[in-house]
Amino acid sequence: MKTADRGFWARGVSEALRRFGPLAALLLMGLALSLLSEHFLTFDNLLNVFRQSAVNTLLALGQLLVIITAGIDLSVGSILGLCCVLAALLVKAGAPPGLAIAAALAAGAGLGTINGLLFTKLRLPHPFIPTLGMMNVARGLALVITGGFPVSELGGGFRYWGAGAVAGIPAPVIVVVCFCVLFHVFLTRTTLGRDIYAIGGNRQAALLSGIPVDRRLALVYGLSGFMSAAGAVVLAGRMNSGFPLAGVGAELDSIAAVIIGGASFFGGSGTVLGTLVGALIMGVLRNGLNLLNVSAYWQTVVIGVVIVAAVWVDVLRQRATEKSRAARR
Amino acid sequence: MGFRNRRCEAVALAAALVLAGGCSRVEQTKKLEIVLVVKALDSEFWQRLKSGAEAAARADPGVKFAVLAPEREINIDQQVAILEDQVLKKVSALAVAPAGVAEVVPVLEKAKAAGIPVVIVDTDVPWPSRVSFVGIDNRLGGRLAGEYVLRAIGGQGKVAVIRGVMGVATQDDRLAGFREVIAQAPGVQYVAAQPANSERALGMSVMENLLTLHRDLRAVFATNDQMALGAMEAIAARNLTGKIVLVGFDATREAVRAVQAGRMSAVMAQYAEAIGRRAIEEAIKAARAQPVEKRVDIGTALVTKENAGEFLR
Repeated sequence: MKTADRGFWARGVSEALRRFGPLAALLLMGLALSLLSEHFLTFDNLLNVFRQSAVNTLLALGQLLVIITAGIDLSVGSILGLCCVLAALLVKAGAPPGLAIAAALAAGAGLGTINGLLFTKLRLPHPFIPTLGMMNVARGLALVITGGFPVSELGGGFRYWGAGAVAGIPAPVIVVVCFCVLFHVFLTRTTLGRDIYAIGGNRQAALLSGIPVDRRLALVYGLSGFMSAAGAVVLAGRMNSGFPLAGVGAELDSIAAVIIGGASFFGGSGTVLGTLVGALIMGVLRNGLNLLNVSAYWQTVVIGVVIVAAVWVDVLRQRATEKSRAARR
Repeated sequence: MGFRNRRCEAVALAAALVLAGGCSRVEQTKKLEIVLVVKALDSEFWQRLKSGAEAAARADPGVKFAVLAPEREINIDQQVAILEDQVLKKVSALAVAPAGVAEVVPVLEKAKAAGIPVVIVDTDVPWPSRVSFVGIDNRLGGRLAGEYVLRAIGGQGKVAVIRGVMGVATQDDRLAGFREVIAQAPGVQYVAAQPANSERALGMSVMENLLTLHRDLRAVFATNDQMALGAMEAIAARNLTGKIVLVGFDATREAVRAVQAGRMSAVMAQYAEAIGRRAIEEAIKAARAQPVEKRVDIGTALVTKENAGEFLR
């Protein structure tokens, strides 16, 4: 009786940690920073944090899908760079902004789908390989088609999604909120979403239960590429430039956001809310340390520590859960 | 000053690590807050520019000063985020060495809207609202480098350039000045301008490739010292030291010592400390609404084995 009781409580705490741990960490961090800097907890600054986290959040949403299937997408930063310059070149060539954006999104989705097909059709051993290849191909192409030069001064219409605002709320923030809602509904309320969790939980079992695994994987990588392009549209608009080195290293930031947000590297778990919180934790850290005039080098150190700490807490939690299960038996 | 900064860093770090903690608010003072945001701090050039800037800030007891930078020169979006956060703090004046010429303009506009005067440092931007530009005439520097190369190779042979990120005015201007001069020599074949992102390791691998492609290469102009030092290692690895003319740009101590030792032929001087010092002096003036010099040219000079000693003092 006593042990069962203890197990019950341990499970409760463990479940709460899993669901709200990252959020609690974010709030604590916010509290600490608002004590350290009077600029932190202002409406304008919180908008700044959201705006600065927008691109990483968009990439991380795509990365989340991939990581739920126990995969990894190393090409998101490069696809972002390529889509940035594609959209910018089209705008410069006189294309209407809507067309340039649509073309960039289509290119992103296409390149992502190629990642998925390379993985499933060529039976490459791990998604690391095709996406590592794509990371180089897309970056190289971005440099080739621009000769390495940034394509800047893009004009008002195109810049809307990066630099515009609705009723004082920056457009990138609205984009992020919309995609978060869409992805949340997609993952939790649709058969496709459940298929994706099933593939990550146990690919063989998913296959045996009739899920078209290869098609779902192509979709997942396609969506990740699409989100990279969405990030590109926001970034190019924000910076008024499509620069071929945009998003160098962004793949690692997006993976970090997903992992800090509580998703498992072994697949089968991960939530949109967690990923959003993970991206915001990184954004809040960078912004807060900027406000305190702490050098970018220290920011990198701190983010590294947070990644390891977040996963370690998760490991401790899982161990506690297993112990309580064992105790019940 | 440095001590307080470091203590503040430590406090911030500790707080972030334990995800909690209380600390007294930074005390409110009426000091001017001047912030210098550069492209990176990963080379001697930026470190020296920083120390010149710090000296200028120290000389004025009414100034609180900080230097910030993204991790690498190519992280333009990180620099934009740093600038946004400084604009939000409504600092008294900003001095900015833009990592991307067009990319920083939107955030500079925000600074202007917030009433923050901006001094542009090192790399000029086509933004008329800057209160001052402090730097050198990079085109002239490129021309002087070109004239030296022509003399050194007797106006004959293959010449290559290793350059920094495309579309950055300093780099474009140095290259343009260099090409202007080289184009006038009919005996010179201009073979390539390869980008190496102002990084040393890339400078080395680009040089290795150039040496493989062009066995009869006579001279290389690297548009900053980091790339030149990388190229120098590649040249040395093939036992070509002294046989290929190598010219750098910045005159960091390491590069000047290499010139003195004959491992590099020449280097264009940038008086980095003076650039930093004058930039902050102008920024302080702007913050106090005093008249500011619209353009401060620090000047450049050719450093060769003969005069290298003067630059090491």
